[in-house]
Amino acid sequence: MNNLQRYINNANISRFRLIFQILAFLLLIYGGYLSIHIGTSIPTFACPYNQECPGTCYLISAQHQLHNTWSDLFGFRGKAFLTGFITFVLLFLVINKAWCGYVCPLGTIQDWITKLRNFLGVKFSRYDELSFKRLKIIKFVLLILLVLIPLGMSNSLLGLPLFSHDLSAPFCQICPGRVITPLFIGDTSQLLVDFTNPTTMIMSTLGILVLALFFIGSFFKKRFFCFFCPMSALHFLFSSIAFLRLNKKGENCTRCGNCYRVCDVGIKAIAEDLEHTYMVKDDCMLCLKCVEACPENDCLKASFLTIPVFSSTEEGFFKRNLHLDHEMQNPSNQSNNEDITKNDDSKTK
Amino acid sequence: MIQKPNKRYDRLSTASKKRLVIESDSVLNELQKESAGTIPGMDYFYGLARSYSRGELSKQDKKKYIATSCVQVPIELIYAAGAVPVRTCSGSHSMSQAGAEFLPAKSCSLVSATFGTIYTDSIPVPSKPVAIINPTTCDQKKKLSEIPSGMDIPYYTLELPPTKDSEEAQMYWYSSVKKFSRDLEGITGKRITRSRLKAAILKVAKAQQAFRQLHQIRKEHPSMRGTDAILVANTFFYDDIDSWTQHVDSLNHELAQGLHRDPGISDNNAPRILLTGSPSIFPNFKLPVMIEAMGGHIVADEFCSSNRLLYDTVAVDEWNMYDMIPALADRYLKACTCPCFTPNQDRDRKLLSYIKDFRVDGLVYQTFSGCQLYELESSRIGSLMEQENIPMLYIETDYSPDDRGQLSTRIEAFIESLSARK
Repeated sequence: MNNLQRYINNANISRFRLIFQILAFLLLIYGGYLSIHIGTSIPTFACPYNQECPGTCYLISAQHQLHNTWSDLFGFRGKAFLTGFITFVLLFLVINKAWCGYVCPLGTIQDWITKLRNFLGVKFSRYDELSFKRLKIIKFVLLILLVLIPLGMSNSLLGLPLFSHDLSAPFCQICPGRVITPLFIGDTSQLLVDFTNPTTMIMSTLGILVLALFFIGSFFKKRFFCFFCPMSALHFLFSSIAFLRLNKKGENCTRCGNCYRVCDVGIKAIAEDLEHTYMVKDDCMLCLKCVEACPENDCLKASFLTIPVFSSTEEGFFKRNLHLDHEMQNPSNQSNNEDITKNDDSKTK
Repeated sequence: MIQKPNKRYDRLSTASKKRLVIESDSVLNELQKESAGTIPGMDYFYGLARSYSRGELSKQDKKKYIATSCVQVPIELIYAAGAVPVRTCSGSHSMSQAGAEFLPAKSCSLVSATFGTIYTDSIPVPSKPVAIINPTTCDQKKKLSEIPSGMDIPYYTLELPPTKDSEEAQMYWYSSVKKFSRDLEGITGKRITRSRLKAAILKVAKAQQAFRQLHQIRKEHPSMRGTDAILVANTFFYDDIDSWTQHVDSLNHELAQGLHRDPGISDNNAPRILLTGSPSIFPNFKLPVMIEAMGGHIVADEFCSSNRLLYDTVAVDEWNMYDMIPALADRYLKACTCPCFTPNQDRDRKLLSYIKDFRVDGLVYQTFSGCQLYELESSRIGSLMEQENIPMLYIETDYSPDDRGQLSTRIEAFIESLSARK
């Protein structure tokens, strides 16, 4: 057991994640061809606008289920909503925000864009502390809107007139997943501005704008879209009771900042916070890159129902880092050997 | 002021160098006599220290050398620019006397020895360094570059922020290191390319891995004297880095097997001591040698010359210049526990973790007279130790051997009181 633990702690989780993401991507984009169906409460972007998607993103289900009058919601339709909601929460609790880091196809696409940028040698950008604090509120605002707008279509909120039915599933209308995921099966039908009426025009234009932002933003900023994603906000509400956890032992931390450096979403607390142990913040996607980059034994640890899954170790840190050395060409090693023999010679003299 | 070159300068330079050999040999003889060759892996490091004092370091002759006056200089960049870094920080009493001529009376020995080393041309490398990199850490070091002494090696001031926690300070340091990397290219005439910098980072990381292993081994099998461990870290700049790393690896191998045990610490009940404060740099091992001769065992040290130099790691996310340089900069700033930063609570936390991990019985806090920063932090560390119920011995000293008698009495009493508590 100890050997297994050591093997895992020395492993390159990022490589594992890359492969896992590809498999999850294939399932969520092309699963329909195999007649797979995995439900309508998937806690990640499984977009049914893509005909071959094997499941349904919970956000679209929730928006539809909330599009009901109060009386219906407190009646039989409420039951449907509750079942969906509970399924969503249960699915989410299993792997916590790793849904974002390991499964979400939009996240995966952004990671591929990041790889492309890295390959091109273009520098990434980062929010400064103040912008980070201000902008992170947006996803919660979007979450509140995607609950209120469907409710407002069937009920009068605070005496307002009912919202137009063209606002149905309002978040989906601006979500880049609606346009991007169908593209992978060759369906370009979502790539348009709908001129039916002013509402559809505004919403579909917004959708195209967000789509453009998605590509431009994620080229310069790692996981650009995730920072504004209402699914991530919804996740966060239940994250503190999830089974897969990321914990930090403050007393082992030297505040070297390695974890923050490699964090794709730029969570500073992981490096600075020495008091709290639970480290899954609202923007976290549990990619565990921070655990990989931590050189202190047992400082950062991912565990599943208190069983340690992946811990930071000094050995693992150097193994992953120095592994790169073997990938480099031999000439440097040769010259090193020459130096050593030269030194030995001079000593024998 | 002595003009260079002139007869008096030549005499001073020759005499200081000769006295450095005598100082080093007396320390090394004492260390080797005590250990009586029980840890064969140490011989290489004793040998390095000996050749250092004689100016006979076997580094690559064709390369350019760049002197550093403080551990805060990112040496990976120097390697990447095709040069070899060499330390000017010195623990030599004769060098501190040579340097003292230019400095105020209350300067710390370490700074005057550093200046003496530079001034008397005693940096032990085959060719004269092309520059001295001087980070703006403590006031005394930072003002060294302004002392008129007719020296011909140009100083380069590497700007370091006075705090390290704020985003502004970090950004300032990033830009400062970035500028340094560009200026280095000008100094050495060799471009810092992506692959060279990557190779340099990995080369130093290997040395760090070996050093951290030694650190872990000292935690688990305390079979080595602390003075020897301090010497190992001290010799880091004295040889080609890969060869140094190789020898530390074989020393680790020897120690981990537990075959060899230093007779000096055969007693398992010897009081376990943590040494901190102004760094003991070879050949100023006055305090560590004395502590271990009196029956204490230095299980760990928190010195910039050992732990801070090699412990903290570089984590690069994307192996491109734009990410490697900030990653390097982070290694020298964020986890640093130098008292030139304020606030410096990380030092408290580091000391507490050492006390726990190395099961420390008592703390010895060394300050060199004139080193205000360590003096200023002593009261904070003192009250922290009181809280933790760890006895602390505060010692203010310098490089001169004059206070040996007085010190030995105090240390003996401290160690005896620790033994009585056990």
